[in-house]
Amino acid sequence: MSYVLAKSQNDDIHSAGECGGAVTSIFKYLLDEGIVDGVLALSPVDDIYDAMPTFVTDSEDLIKTAGSYHCAPTMVGDIIQKYLYDKKVAVAVKPCDMRSIEELIVRHKINKDNVYLIGLNCGGTVSPVSGRKMIDLFYEADPDDVVSEEIDKGKFIIELADGSEEAVKIHDLEEEGYGRRNNCQRCDVKIPRKANIACGNWGAEDGWTFIEINDEKGQELIDGAKKAGILETKNPSQGAIEGREKVENIMIKMSKKNQEATYPSVSEMDEWNRCISCYACRDICPICWCFENCELNKPYFKDETNIPPSPIAFQGVRLSHMSFSCVDCGQCDDVCPMDIPVSLIFDKLQKKYCERTGYVAGVSDDMKPPLYSPDKVEL
Amino acid sequence: MLEIKHTLCPSCSVGCGINVVLNDGEIVGTFPYKRHPVNAGKNCSNGRNSIDCYQNKFESAVVSKSETDVEKAIADVSKELSSADASSVTVICSGNNSLEEIEAIKDFAESKNYNIAFYADDLKDFDAVASYDDVEGASNVFVIGDLLYENPLIGRRIVHAKQNGAKIYALSKVDKSVTLNIADESSNGSVQEFLDNNNANIDESSVIVFNYVDAQEDLDKIEAAGCKVLPVFSKSNTKGALKIVDPKSEAEIIEVLNNTKLLLVFNDDVVEDIDFDFGKISKIISFAECENETTKISDIIIPIKTWLEKDGSFVNAMGENQAFKAVVESDALSEIEIIGKLN
Repeated sequence: MSYVLAKSQNDDIHSAGECGGAVTSIFKYLLDEGIVDGVLALSPVDDIYDAMPTFVTDSEDLIKTAGSYHCAPTMVGDIIQKYLYDKKVAVAVKPCDMRSIEELIVRHKINKDNVYLIGLNCGGTVSPVSGRKMIDLFYEADPDDVVSEEIDKGKFIIELADGSEEAVKIHDLEEEGYGRRNNCQRCDVKIPRKANIACGNWGAEDGWTFIEINDEKGQELIDGAKKAGILETKNPSQGAIEGREKVENIMIKMSKKNQEATYPSVSEMDEWNRCISCYACRDICPICWCFENCELNKPYFKDETNIPPSPIAFQGVRLSHMSFSCVDCGQCDDVCPMDIPVSLIFDKLQKKYCERTGYVAGVSDDMKPPLYSPDKVEL
Repeated sequence: MLEIKHTLCPSCSVGCGINVVLNDGEIVGTFPYKRHPVNAGKNCSNGRNSIDCYQNKFESAVVSKSETDVEKAIADVSKELSSADASSVTVICSGNNSLEEIEAIKDFAESKNYNIAFYADDLKDFDAVASYDDVEGASNVFVIGDLLYENPLIGRRIVHAKQNGAKIYALSKVDKSVTLNIADESSNGSVQEFLDNNNANIDESSVIVFNYVDAQEDLDKIEAAGCKVLPVFSKSNTKGALKIVDPKSEAEIIEVLNNTKLLLVFNDDVVEDIDFDFGKISKIISFAECENETTKISDIIIPIKTWLEKDGSFVNAMGENQAFKAVVESDALSEIEIIGKLN
């Protein structure tokens, strides 16, 4: 592992990107050199709250993906698995994206050689609808007038078209039930160290990206982009390295505090009581990959005449099967029509499993997936 | 090339947003539309499976159970219409049609003096209805039907109301339901009994949410209850269609069908909705996206553009006009284009 500060040598990318545009520049290098078929990144559709995954194959289009989109809590692991398996893909990954990709690599659902993981340090994401409501309630601005947003130094910062900024402490927003998504508030993986490189502004000087180079592939990326003349680098000071570490540790400490408060508070049966067995949580889960072959689709589990559905027949079975591998991405919470805190229930059990085995889904090295059996037949 | 495009769910009248995933121009899946204000990325299984109609769509017309050219089949329909007595021709439209299609169907039927029949779940259009935010902010919510199970994205607002401190009174046709699971007070009787028994608890900040009634009188009683109301329809644009065409009750539709010899069904499954011996009708012509109970007994089937292949607009249950755009190109004819050819 080594550290570097980097910024783009391309003026357009430098001004459009976050922290000097290093991430976008690395993507441009990978595309222009033909190392990847495309780049999977977020691009805004209707506004900044509506960024969608887009597969960019022409580096001229990369500028549309520059910038950060905290109000677009998407997941890319399942997209690569389902639709881009045979493509060489460079992808920007939050820690939960990285963890899901790692779990899918272990399950042979993503080919590790095909993916270039450009990690993004993550302090959390905000749901777009509640994010807009939050801005309406706690800021002096119209949510429609916000042109960009950022999470920095414990604040959610919005920028308006006239260049002015407003910031509110995330702690205050979360006290009122807004701010980051619940799973983000308890997430204790803030830097995606299984990605080839992990990028962010923690510890960085203005106009530079702080990059942690996690492996040989990551080093080759940085060296290649420099050689291509699109990336400038310099060594970070010891103070910058320590500053970054301090930010990470503070955030992890806050997350642990949140875990201690929320794990005991959830009552699984009360929450499951309103489950409609729509399977949205299963279908969105980036780790679930059996699709139509899922055992839960079998007649002995499916009982559509039984309304309300028995929670144990769906939630209980799925919990016992999948919770060990939960990466706490919160996608299940996001899509549950009944607002069941599925990820809280699963993550709580994952933590218990971790206490016994040391296995952290999508993070632990050299460990087989839970319930792994060499005799298991591929479906 | 991977693309994700916004559209609206056609499954019921809630008006949820949904994203459609295209790979090299082919529709391959759905994706949460988290920015959509109605459902924030949440869709029920009907919504997520709504792309099935595109994947199972009719690729050609069917005449007397044999596949045939669409233009030839439309010519056959024109021939049937020209030889029919207008008073024995009935046109069925529904909440599956967009506002633009309903207007075209209505104009077509009126210009030809055909009967027009539109079933709105035996519900009606209320002048003012509760918004979804009103449901969340209500002091008491009176729920008629298993809204949590049948219309989950309204059900979610009822859950929020409970979390916000509201008391939930639920009426169900059956002993067990998901809505009953979260209700503070549960009933299994008639709608009249439910409203009478709870009359004292209904105040200005209450909301009655319902997706069925037992009789027309129930609608009058709900309207006179002195609180906001939210009828939730089974089809995406029933609320919009009610602004254009007068609905008929099931009994009234059966009366019309008893005098019908030629039935034109525009994107609806009237056989599923109405308990009637359709074998009594001489000829049934369906304009349909994909197979349903009505197309199974139709003499002629004309394929139409699916909701994913056309532009249009719906009015959702709380009265918001919602426009949608085609997410994929198609050579199929829209209902409006077919009506143009029949004229």
